[in-house]
Amino acid sequence: MPKRGAQPLQDEMLQGTLDLLVLQTLLLGPAHGHTIAYAIEHRSDDVLQVEHGSLYPALHRLEDRKWIASFWGTSENNRKARYYRLTPAGRRQLAEQTSRWEQLVQAINRVLRPASE
Amino acid sequence: MSWTKFFRRRRWDEERAEELSAYLEIETAENIAKGMSPAEASSAAHRKLGNTVQVREEIYRMNSLGFVETLWQDLRYGARMLRKNPGFTFIAVITLALGIGANTAIFSMVDWLMFQQLPVQDPKALTYLGFNLGGPLHNDSQFSYPEYRQIAEESGTAFDGMTAVSFGGSASGQSGPDGLTFQGKTLPVQTFFVSGNFFSLLGLKPALGRFFAVHEGSAAGADPVVVISWDYWQSRFLGDPEIAGRSVAINGHPMTIIGVSPKGFFGPTPLLHVQAYLPLGMLVVDAGTTPDFLAKGDVRPLSIFARLRHGDSPEGARAALEVVGQHLLARYPRPDEKTSGMRAVPLRPPGMMSGQDFNPLTRTAVIFLTLGILVLMLACVNVANLLLVRATARHAEMAVRSALGAARRRLIRQLLTESLLLALLGCAAGIIAGLVATHALTTIHFPTIFPLSLDFRFNWFVFAGALLAAIVASLIAGVVPAWQASRQNLSSVLHDSGRSLTSRRQRLRNLMVTVQVAGSLSLLIVAGLFARSLQSAQRADVGFATHSVANLTVDPNQIGYSEAKAQAFYRDLLQRVRALPGVESASLAAWVPMGDTQFGGRIDVPGIAPAKGQPGPSALFNAVSPGYFQTMGIPIERGRDIAESDSASTQRIALINQAMADKYWHGQDPLGQQFSPSDDPKHPIQIVGVVRNFRMVDPYSPIDPLYFIPLTQHHFSTVTLHLRSAGPETGVVRDVLPIVDSLAPAMPVYASSMSEALNGINGLFLFRLGAILTGILGALGLVLAIVGVYGVMSYTVSQRTHEIGIRMALGAQRGQILGLIGRQGIFVVSAGIIIGVLIAFAVGQLIRDFLVGIGPADSVTYLLVSTLLAAVAAVACLVPARRAIKVDPNAALRSE
Repeated sequence: MPKRGAQPLQDEMLQGTLDLLVLQTLLLGPAHGHTIAYAIEHRSDDVLQVEHGSLYPALHRLEDRKWIASFWGTSENNRKARYYRLTPAGRRQLAEQTSRWEQLVQAINRVLRPASE
Repeated sequence: MSWTKFFRRRRWDEERAEELSAYLEIETAENIAKGMSPAEASSAAHRKLGNTVQVREEIYRMNSLGFVETLWQDLRYGARMLRKNPGFTFIAVITLALGIGANTAIFSMVDWLMFQQLPVQDPKALTYLGFNLGGPLHNDSQFSYPEYRQIAEESGTAFDGMTAVSFGGSASGQSGPDGLTFQGKTLPVQTFFVSGNFFSLLGLKPALGRFFAVHEGSAAGADPVVVISWDYWQSRFLGDPEIAGRSVAINGHPMTIIGVSPKGFFGPTPLLHVQAYLPLGMLVVDAGTTPDFLAKGDVRPLSIFARLRHGDSPEGARAALEVVGQHLLARYPRPDEKTSGMRAVPLRPPGMMSGQDFNPLTRTAVIFLTLGILVLMLACVNVANLLLVRATARHAEMAVRSALGAARRRLIRQLLTESLLLALLGCAAGIIAGLVATHALTTIHFPTIFPLSLDFRFNWFVFAGALLAAIVASLIAGVVPAWQASRQNLSSVLHDSGRSLTSRRQRLRNLMVTVQVAGSLSLLIVAGLFARSLQSAQRADVGFATHSVANLTVDPNQIGYSEAKAQAFYRDLLQRVRALPGVESASLAAWVPMGDTQFGGRIDVPGIAPAKGQPGPSALFNAVSPGYFQTMGIPIERGRDIAESDSASTQRIALINQAMADKYWHGQDPLGQQFSPSDDPKHPIQIVGVVRNFRMVDPYSPIDPLYFIPLTQHHFSTVTLHLRSAGPETGVVRDVLPIVDSLAPAMPVYASSMSEALNGINGLFLFRLGAILTGILGALGLVLAIVGVYGVMSYTVSQRTHEIGIRMALGAQRGQILGLIGRQGIFVVSAGIIIGVLIAFAVGQLIRDFLVGIGPADSVTYLLVSTLLAAVAAVACLVPARRAIKVDPNAALRSE
């Protein structure tokens, strides 16, 4: 649930951003939806809160673009779960999108804090 | 999006569901591990995940091809609606099918007759030459061979070449096709005599063998070679691959077939199928053509086809032709004709008939196109109306669907899909109707001894046009209600049950019914005029015996009989058949009443000098044997019949009809008077008798001067044996055929009867055809009007059930309810009738020339047809109105 002061960004979260975060998460190794959702939350110090359901269409979209692949596996606590892993195309895509993201952030920063530079 | 995913999306969805439940299990397990109760853990997991159905739907949508998906839905839904209303569907589909089918057939025929170009090289540049007479006849286009040579030389570079042609069977002594003998069997053949450059001028290549060499045809009787048409090759010679080089005989003259003309080329004119082409010089095989005809400047059996220079127009060639024409007239005068300059006329379209002021072909085409478009329009209006009625009935449904979240765009698309589905069904049925109708038109049997080819097929291009009209109409009809339905306020619809929303649409529907009644009334009036015209033509007293007279047409020239031999044959034939039991009288004639051809020309009557610039006297004539008037049942009013003793060596004599006596010997005694044909002044003809007027040319025109000369004094090779018998005609014919065969073996006989002759091309045939075709279209219009009126009236009743219930509950009588419903019907129908009468007046002017015995504003037709339509419309109103007065007020009020 959202905490005061740290309003979750899920609504405004750009579609491409979620994709980027998923790809980045999978860089560490294959994971299932549950893990991915929590990983994103954790690593952003709970600022980026996804309604976990909305992750699944994103996963589907990424798989559709052949950036990730899926397989059925067994979870840590012995339950059947669908695992996703990064494909080589996904790896390339991640690199590309990351650098574009950084450019974007820098650009926005320049606009917001022109004097401090 | 891909199709494979589209079709696999159901499996996908299952996997997603599984995946989501895996999430829930894991999350629940973790929550329990954190110390929650199982129930708490599960609900917390669900909260965390959110709405799983929504997630699945989102993924499902990602996998679907949105448009196809909903289109399929719409189609399925539309098909279900159509199936659930079989009456509505049937009427709409049949309506469209008939409208599209009738139009496709009519347009296909008109396109073929009027617009289709000849299958030759650059057909638009082909013209024929003629003197402009300014008169109604087109015999201004006949030339002699020397004239042709002079025109060809003098016109120089004005044309890209010209060729002289002549139809076989049109020579002076013959009025039927030539005969082609192959393996001992002689059959009629339509010949066409052409100069050697004919095929190269047209740019045609032989399908087999060779065409004529340029020099062939320039000498009389010198080149006994024949080119046959593809169809004739197939039908008569069964496509014999060795056909080139085969020996045949034409009119008894041995010939060699040298080639076959290309498939699909039926000759230069519409309708008439040219089966064999011969060099011009071979025209001597036709009876009445003298061997020196190529040298004579005043023997004019030829037409001249000329090819315009590339890019030139007939107008462009006019200046050159004016000069050529003047020179020609100076050298070869045409004293009888009011010639005013030579011109080039496009050969086709609309065919060689265009020399006439009154072109029946054009006029007929315009009439039937008009009627056809009217029918299609009625069909479209009808379907539009039906759709409107139904859309109103579905108000509530649309409102509910809209309330349940259907987007307006979706609703409109749904209705459009339904309309389109209906239009497509109508089209499928329309193809069938069109094929049947086209086939019916091509198989119309024309009563003539000339071979005709109705070589037109179901025209897909035309069909596409009619289809487009139907689709546009049903789409428009679909859009209007869809738009209105999607715009309206839900709550008002559900509360009102659509009662108060219909007035504007009601007006639109009333207007449409008015249009329908008007259109179908004008169709019916046209059909009625044709029927009345046929009736009056049938009733007309033709003035001769029409029953128990058999007609057997023979042409001894077809088997090569000389004039003397033919005359001997006629004599023997008459003698033998007169001796047959059952034969009351028998005679021969060159011209059968209402027949294909007629004979006539200028005559010189002593004492009658035409005023300057006025045509001199003229008369039609027939060459007959003794006993003709007895066989025909025509009384000889004065004088004597033709006698056996009147022969080629005795004084030329004639009997004249009363019209001729009145016109040229008014107030005098015609007996003993003399006149002479202008083209044969050396043989004056003495009048020996006067016969009562009868109808020779057609059943309706004013009776023209007509004289009868002995067949022995003017030879014709094509003659018809008239046989009057006590019993039925067919019995006599059976007895006569062996006699003909024994006298002239292998001679073709065309057996018919006088009652059939009455229905000939110039007789009642066209009246009957016109009456039948317009009758069909009229009946179609009537059915459409009934459907329209009935549909709208019964809809009105169903919409007003509630209101009627209230009125009846408040004490309204049945008569008042009937009047309430009836008033609307009466208003709509009478408005339609008034407009329809006005349209019919306009169309009537178009068909004025086809009507006999009645005017285009024939009051009987107008009255009868209007009454008929009003009565039918009244019944169509009455049935729903009766339903209205049977409304049970209790039920009506409770049903809300």
